[in-house]
Amino acid sequence: MAAGPAVDMKAIEGVLGNHPRGATDALVHLLQDIQEAVNYLPEEAIRAAADHLEVPLGKVYAVATFYKAFSLKPRGKTIVKVCLGTTCHIRGAPVVVEDFQHGLGIGPGETTSDMKYTLEVVNCVGACALAPVVIAGEKYLADVKPGTILKRLSKGK
Amino acid sequence: MRFTTPTELADKSATLASTDRKIKKRVLVCSGTGCAALGAFEVFDALVEAADGAKLDLQIELAPCADHAEPLYATKTGCQGFCQVGPLVHIQPDDILYTKVTPKKAREIVEQTLQQGKVIDKLLYKNPETGERIAERSKIPFYQNQTTIALEGCGRVAAESLDAYLAAGGFAPLAKALTLTPEAIIGEVVESGLRGRGGGGFATGRKWRSCVAAEGDERFVICNGDEGDPGAFMDCCIMEGDPYRVLEGMIICALAVGAKRGFIYVRNEYPRAVSRLQAAIDACRAAGLLGDNILGSDLDFDIRISRGGGAFVCGESSALMRSIEGNVGEPRAKYVRSVAKGLYDKPTVLNNVETFACVPAIIRERGKWFRQLGTEGSAGTKAFCLVGKVVNTGLIEVPMGTPLRDVVFGVGGGIINDRPFKAVQTGGPSGGCLSEEHLDLPVDFDALTAAGSMMGSGGMIVMDDHTCMVDVARYFLKFLLEESCGKCVPCREGIFQLHAMLDAFAKGEGKTGDLAKLERLAEDVQVGALCGLGKSAPNPVLSTLRNFRDEYEAHIERKKCPAGVCQAITTFLIDAEKCTGCMLCIKACPTEAITGQKKKLHAINQELCTKCGACRLVCKDDAVVTT
Amino acid sequence: MTQILIDNRKFNAEEGETILEVARRNQIDIPTLCHHEALEAVGACRLCTVEITGEDWNGSTKLVSACLYPVEEGLIVQTRSEGVLRLRQTVLDLLMARCPESTVIRDLATQHGQVTEYQQFTDGSKCIMCYLCVRACAKLGCHAISAVNRGTLKEVAPPFHEHAESCVGCGTCATICPTGHIEMVDTAETRTIWKREFEFVTCKVCGEPLITKAYRDYALENRRLPNDYYTVCSACKKSELSGHFARLSL
Repeated sequence: MAAGPAVDMKAIEGVLGNHPRGATDALVHLLQDIQEAVNYLPEEAIRAAADHLEVPLGKVYAVATFYKAFSLKPRGKTIVKVCLGTTCHIRGAPVVVEDFQHGLGIGPGETTSDMKYTLEVVNCVGACALAPVVIAGEKYLADVKPGTILKRLSKGK
Repeated sequence: MRFTTPTELADKSATLASTDRKIKKRVLVCSGTGCAALGAFEVFDALVEAADGAKLDLQIELAPCADHAEPLYATKTGCQGFCQVGPLVHIQPDDILYTKVTPKKAREIVEQTLQQGKVIDKLLYKNPETGERIAERSKIPFYQNQTTIALEGCGRVAAESLDAYLAAGGFAPLAKALTLTPEAIIGEVVESGLRGRGGGGFATGRKWRSCVAAEGDERFVICNGDEGDPGAFMDCCIMEGDPYRVLEGMIICALAVGAKRGFIYVRNEYPRAVSRLQAAIDACRAAGLLGDNILGSDLDFDIRISRGGGAFVCGESSALMRSIEGNVGEPRAKYVRSVAKGLYDKPTVLNNVETFACVPAIIRERGKWFRQLGTEGSAGTKAFCLVGKVVNTGLIEVPMGTPLRDVVFGVGGGIINDRPFKAVQTGGPSGGCLSEEHLDLPVDFDALTAAGSMMGSGGMIVMDDHTCMVDVARYFLKFLLEESCGKCVPCREGIFQLHAMLDAFAKGEGKTGDLAKLERLAEDVQVGALCGLGKSAPNPVLSTLRNFRDEYEAHIERKKCPAGVCQAITTFLIDAEKCTGCMLCIKACPTEAITGQKKKLHAINQELCTKCGACRLVCKDDAVVTT
Repeated sequence: MTQILIDNRKFNAEEGETILEVARRNQIDIPTLCHHEALEAVGACRLCTVEITGEDWNGSTKLVSACLYPVEEGLIVQTRSEGVLRLRQTVLDLLMARCPESTVIRDLATQHGQVTEYQQFTDGSKCIMCYLCVRACAKLGCHAISAVNRGTLKEVAPPFHEHAESCVGCGTCATICPTGHIEMVDTAETRTIWKREFEFVTCKVCGEPLITKAYRDYALENRRLPNDYYTVCSACKKSELSGHFARLSL
């Protein structure tokens, strides 16, 4: 595996402690908690989860790769989610995704080399009145016109 | 307090309701996702500050909740529906609705409206047709044509507060249900004619009855909150804005079918719904409304939240159950129904959020009352998310059987910029596109299915002539391609091939005969796939083929996209007759491809044009044309 | 006991049996790719699709997978109706496009008369995602491989796409694979599979490879077998025994 940033095993162990040993049905939950704590699912965490819940490693890996919410790669400081719900799509969201490709050289699921931004695409965030909408970290950017997103990101509005 | 009898609950509710009536003015600031993003919290803060400054003793609450220590993300929301003109401020009991409120207006609102009882004209909703300002919320056409049952409390009560729910009569239906036999409760639901609001439209009462009849030592109740259809957020609004109603519906169901454990499966993208529901569950446990001996009765029932992991397929019942069990969310063939062999292979009732939200009202008002709303085959009301190229975007609830036209043009206020209506997409990725000829169709389960679409969970996406139907079909196929679990061949491989064909059409690479190939494969996937997702995946293709075949033919035979959307086969031009030289398009163009001077004809440099359509979007004179 | 009709012939069936089980017991051919008697059916390949109806169905019919559908009294099954044949053909056409390199799939497709050519995958894979290998591996208790990712990207892989740590080299996955996708290379001393190399235990009589050491250790530990269980290959055991019996009868 490529050398990633140091993995915060302490944080991961803390999360494991919140779920009883051998609670196989807590798998999805546990992985979510780990990702919340350390921003992605490092290999060490997946192994630790398998061990803790007494679930075969292969199954944990299958679950981790099946659900879209999980990232097995380290993610950037700000996670930018471009909504590709139907309304956003017909109001021009695909162009917003292209803007990232042109401006930052990243496609969906990719992270800028300075680890500043990770681009993710999501299917409807329930804010169709604001279409096309982009969520940067926790901030909703409404009515994102073509060619404007990068400027708005740096300004934060 | 912990209620140990239904009487204690009734007493408390009565006290709360009478205190509530004493509140002179109530300012409800909508903090639904839309309003919040448009600055509802800043508006709220400014209102509180202005009220403090004026030394007003007002109860101001952020509808539904006053807790907004953290900005936006951690904030609980309750949608008032009219997202298009947010942030919304609703003042009760005068029923004044202020739209597009900014923090700067706060002082004015406090001083004029709250203190002097004057209505501020320019903050009122303006009817775009008549230009008339409308003060009362209930008289605005958007709200006028609605009937709310599932959304009864949404955006009207402080949703995090159990007290507010009790004051509004909440949990009285549960107390009533405790006096009935399980069969009588089920009888009431059967009588109501309630059908599942999640897409399947299966009769809810019958489902409950089959669960009771199924053999098993344990039964489960699951609420499906994995609302995955893009363009649909009704369930999100209900879970965030009125969580107690959902819990109450589930508890009544547990009572009827004899379940002791329940789960709510919430979509990954709805973190606020999770925190809101969790708070409501905790409050119910403390109040003796969940846990052992609910309200002092023999009923033991508790609910746990299960968060989704970001997989559309988990909205399918068998996949959802596998996901709750901690597995990959792959559907199973449903030759044995989940109501008999569901979660952990035990009898399980699975209904969606909106379905459960209808249950308390049905017990309260009786099944007969619910049945007389709506149509013969589809009783009651239905919540929809009206979005797309429609003037009034938002969350609505109308009686079943309301003509599509009344929804799109009545509640929805017609098409943005008065462009021609082209289609309305219902039912999400599993649904279909209806054309102008369907506008007089009554919106109910059977009529939509007969027209080649479906009710689905309630997304309603309006499209105008600038929407390309091939692109729409391609969009949904792309969505499904990413969301297919990959288990069975027709879905995994079939969707890939369907999408590849549509991709080729969009690039002008379609060949004569491809339409027949597309159609045949779509039909085969429809009958051959393992689960509901796969079986309905070709619907967007088949329904657009049926209603907009000429558009496909234009892409294939003439290599043209009539709507001017498919970039590879579209050229943007400026119509010399119509261009007024206003320079709006020049400002909008991200690649500086448009040149021209004020009041002079503009021109598009085709070398630089990326065909993003920004110019067409801003042109007020319809002067940007495509060929 | 129930009675069902398959291709207009009457058969008895036990409750809980699937259509496929009844058909196979009576030598009625229903093609399958993802089915194996020893493993739980999943209904992934859809090749076993049959058409069903019932006397009181008012003429309506349904396509279902025979490997999963439990029989019920009065069920009427057609294994070669127009709809069934069309779907089978489409499934095979789609699989042809997915793994054009697979001769097994090509032969099946030709047999069913391939009609439509779809956009071909060019990754050279012969995997049709039938999950047989994954299910067999899980059933043996190793869980060395699993079906990872989803949709078109779904594939069988060891955790992290590295070597399969918990693999013991039993080779069941390669043997059960219907298309020969899983690569297993045996020499006189070693077996290489899933990026791992395993040493063989050889038969103490003839010296032929008997079982991988890792599998022997795994089996001894998990199945409570006598320690000398895996020392002689079955062929040699047989001849040893027959020699033994020959001496006895003298």
